[in-house]
Amino acid sequence: MDRLGEIHQLIIPLPGYTVTINLEVLVMTGIVFFLALTFGFAAGRKKSLLPGPVQVIGELIVTQLYGLTEEALGKTHAKTYAPLICALFIFLLISNWLGILPHLEEPTRDLNTPLSLGILGFVIAHYVGIKEKGFKIYIKSYFEPVFFLMPLNLIGELAKIVSISFRLFGNIMGGAIIILVVSYLTYSILLPPFLNVFFGLFVGTIQAFVFTMLTVVYISVQLK
Amino acid sequence: MTIEGADLVKAAALLGAGLSMGLGAIGPGVGEGMAAAKACEAIGRNPKEAGLLTRTMLVGQAVAESTGIYSLVIALLLLFVV
Amino acid sequence: MTLLAVDNQTLTQIAAYVGGAVAMGFGAIGAATGEGYTASRAAEAIARNQEHSGVIIKNMLVGQAISESASIFSLVIAILLLFMDVSDPSIVKAAALLAAGLCMGFGAIGSGVGAGVPAGRSCLAIARQPATAGRITTNMLIGTAVCQTPAIFAMVVALILLFKPIGSVAAFPTCAALIGAGLSTGLAAIGSGYGGGMAAGASCEGVARQPETTTAVTTTMLVGQAVSQTPSVFGLLVSFILIFKSFPASTTLSASVGLLSAGLCMGLGGIGPGIGNGMAAEGAVRWVARRIEYAGDLMRIMLVGQAVSQSTAIYAMVVSLVLIFVV
Repeated sequence: MDRLGEIHQLIIPLPGYTVTINLEVLVMTGIVFFLALTFGFAAGRKKSLLPGPVQVIGELIVTQLYGLTEEALGKTHAKTYAPLICALFIFLLISNWLGILPHLEEPTRDLNTPLSLGILGFVIAHYVGIKEKGFKIYIKSYFEPVFFLMPLNLIGELAKIVSISFRLFGNIMGGAIIILVVSYLTYSILLPPFLNVFFGLFVGTIQAFVFTMLTVVYISVQLK
Repeated sequence: MTIEGADLVKAAALLGAGLSMGLGAIGPGVGEGMAAAKACEAIGRNPKEAGLLTRTMLVGQAVAESTGIYSLVIALLLLFVV
Repeated sequence: MTLLAVDNQTLTQIAAYVGGAVAMGFGAIGAATGEGYTASRAAEAIARNQEHSGVIIKNMLVGQAISESASIFSLVIAILLLFMDVSDPSIVKAAALLAAGLCMGFGAIGSGVGAGVPAGRSCLAIARQPATAGRITTNMLIGTAVCQTPAIFAMVVALILLFKPIGSVAAFPTCAALIGAGLSTGLAAIGSGYGGGMAAGASCEGVARQPETTTAVTTTMLVGQAVSQTPSVFGLLVSFILIFKSFPASTTLSASVGLLSAGLCMGLGGIGPGIGNGMAAEGAVRWVARRIEYAGDLMRIMLVGQAVSQSTAIYAMVVSLVLIFVV
């Protein structure tokens, strides 16, 4: 119970400031990359007309997400951004599910991962907006609908990053803490597998989907 | 802990700022949500007018926002000026 | 400093018992109201469609079970508070225990009532379209489970407050900071819980009306619920800052009241936008079911409307952060 907040960190003192690296999160993220790449290779290897099970899952994910992206962004932009969305969803799905395996923990449990993915989505959305609409119209959109609402629009954009990252972080870390505490209280009898299924599989899938959907929607809002 | 006059005034100002913004956010939140809900329904009934309906909703929400902005102004005044 | 003429151990016990009482007392409100609403709609549904009463009752019981989970969280926190062995009694620990009780007590209200809404509407929906009962029940399960997220946030904050080792920090203003942290998440979860429930209720109706639009309706519902949970995310953020930031010791009343006020501001400020966003999501989901071809446009207008409606929650968060960091 007292080990609740303990993580292994690598602290590198550089001239000027110290760099702190969370080792566990890096290792877990590496495992996620490895699993995702393995899944990708296994799904795309044979490309037969009668697909095997791995290929079916791969095609299911890709077609659904391509459809969603096309609906939101239009066909030309969807070609550029749908692979990013698919990669984001697969990364988040495997990350959130990693906690079910013993001795492994979700990389999305550390605030750095969701926050960096949120900033990634934000930067891409605004880059697309500026590229499409031109800088002037982009700046002008902050002054709509009323002139003096500009600072509030600005804060609203930043609040989008906070909300999207903290929602994923809160749900995943919250689930992990609840599983830990309830397992400690019930001496790991009976309850933990059901909690793991609910928080790990169910909530993990939904939160990964919601994060991906919101990123698509933020990009599409900038494109309008 | 001894409570002095100036300290009490400052504490009251801080509490007032929090209550002002906190309670003041309830009304605009619900009101603008109602506006957004009815705008969604209206666009569902008449999707061709989506642009006009969106503009109407935004204008209506901006007006409903005004009491929220008053609360924010009072809260900031209590924090920084008083 | 001694508030009353009691020692730390007694003060901690008092705070634990009061916190446990508040946690279970307030926590029972939401779930009971929600389950009552579910039962009332189930009765109406059976009145309309008697042959399928078995399916309707089964659906009602499942929905009520998920609605119950918010008050079960409260029960767990209350039992922990009553029977936990407090190893380091102090004023700060007492404040932490009271804050945990407040947080979970308030946080369970919104999700409890909110989860009852889709359960009730799904009973009515099954009465209208018994053939799609399976799909309606699945949709209701997804909606009510996501609707529990604000109560989960409240439980997380309550557990952190219960188990975080206090160490040796000054009594003031950390006490006020911890109580503010409890109020911040607890109150903000009320609006978000109820708002999420409204969206899920509309999706159950929509699936009954047009079963072939289930995917689009569920997607819009999930996105609408996710955005309407944002005020409780802001509350969680302010709570974390108040718990984990170390404040310089100060016995002035203004320092303590400032931190308490920050938590109160964010907590109260999350109620309205949560409910408003839920209303917007409800309207959008209802009409996505009726006009599936405009699902994209409807989702976009829902998000724009919700974003403007959330701006007061952002103001509240800004004022909270100013109270914590600047003043």
